[in-house]
Amino acid sequence: MKKINWLLVVTGLLVGAAAVALTALGNPPNMGFCIACFLRDIAGATKLHSAAVVQYFRPEIIGLVLGSTIMAIAGKEFKAKAGSSPATRFVLGFFVMVGALVFLGCPLRMVIRMGGGDLNAFVGFAGFFIGILIGIFFLKKGFSLKRTYKVNTSEGLVLPAALVIFGVLVLAVPALFAFSESGPGSKHAPFFISLIIALVIGALAQKSRMCFAGGLRDAVMFKDFNLVSGFVAVFIAVLLGNIILGKFSGFSTYLQPISHASQLWNLLGMVLVGWGSILLGGCPLRQLILAGEGNGDSAVTVLGMIVGAAFSHNFGLAGSAASLTDDVYKAGGIGTNGKVAVFIGFAVLLVISLINTKKEAK
Amino acid sequence: MKEFIATFHTHADAIVAHRTLTDKAIDARMMPVPRKLSSSCGTCVRYSADESCAEELKTADFETIYNVEGIGKYSVLVKGEEDD
Repeated sequence: MKKINWLLVVTGLLVGAAAVALTALGNPPNMGFCIACFLRDIAGATKLHSAAVVQYFRPEIIGLVLGSTIMAIAGKEFKAKAGSSPATRFVLGFFVMVGALVFLGCPLRMVIRMGGGDLNAFVGFAGFFIGILIGIFFLKKGFSLKRTYKVNTSEGLVLPAALVIFGVLVLAVPALFAFSESGPGSKHAPFFISLIIALVIGALAQKSRMCFAGGLRDAVMFKDFNLVSGFVAVFIAVLLGNIILGKFSGFSTYLQPISHASQLWNLLGMVLVGWGSILLGGCPLRQLILAGEGNGDSAVTVLGMIVGAAFSHNFGLAGSAASLTDDVYKAGGIGTNGKVAVFIGFAVLLVISLINTKKEAK
Repeated sequence: MKEFIATFHTHADAIVAHRTLTDKAIDARMMPVPRKLSSSCGTCVRYSADESCAEELKTADFETIYNVEGIGKYSVLVKGEEDD
């Protein structure tokens, strides 16, 4: 009955292909793209946290935001607006990041991990879906962070401009920043290749409105499968890409790249991400794209995510990946601080959900 | 009977509008905003009525009401207050 949205399918296929290509060019395995991980690496590069293995100023983030800005301006869709509960959005961004780093990935990396054969990510997906259902419950009850208002163009350009300045500084005065010498932060594709690929993906994501949380939301609420088709396309492209490059070795939970098999926490971490993303109106990728097209609230959300990433590493909240060194298997997983933080996150999201839900007269 | 789409600043406003219209026995349904109308990914209300219902929808602080002229063809009918 419904027409297939080919732009979304093509965008999804290209995102998946780009993710596989970026990993082949040097990005960490199953992490061609990951908004949470890359913002975390940027927090490390700017010394907001000092976890030595996750410090690199990821050009993909610059590219995604700028690609969106350029496409929005070209399509006369750049609109500077803000004022929809920015402080609350900051907090939501913070806890979405905490949840994502417990799981070890944003919704986009979750799909990339699924396509890479990581069964732990399927558990994360179940959690993400549960979180989305919780968010939808509150949406249907009348949850709202209130409307945005038109603001000066400069407000809409804050994040894109800041990223351009940082990009120039990273290239001109790299000594200012921290760069990992080992671990995921040390693995990266060449700077300009990452930047250009991300510019294209950012532009396409702006044009197609690709969103991982929005896709499931529309499918559940309206039986509208447009956005979710992008989700499926990423999965298929990553799976095929890995098979073609000979990187695919079946589906397993054991020793997956930058992943752990603490399934309860994979699940709960992503419940936090799904719930928070629905309250925010979009997944972390979508927040970058909205910030690129002039949404100041989304820019604040991105800042919340960066601070959330810094806290995650400063306070030992993030999950640690399973590893095998000299035949010694370490399961990885979540420390006590991370477990407590997830539950604080649930409490905070519940309070935010309740106090922003309008009591209807009828 | 004509087809209209009303867009809103928030999802909650769309719920209010949907209820307002259905209470008046107007055939209305909520759906994602068509990409042609906006780069944002909010919720709109599509309804069939003899006229735009702009007065009724004021309580829901609508953003814009569009005429649906055909598949994928829309024209702006009424802009809400404080619209940019």
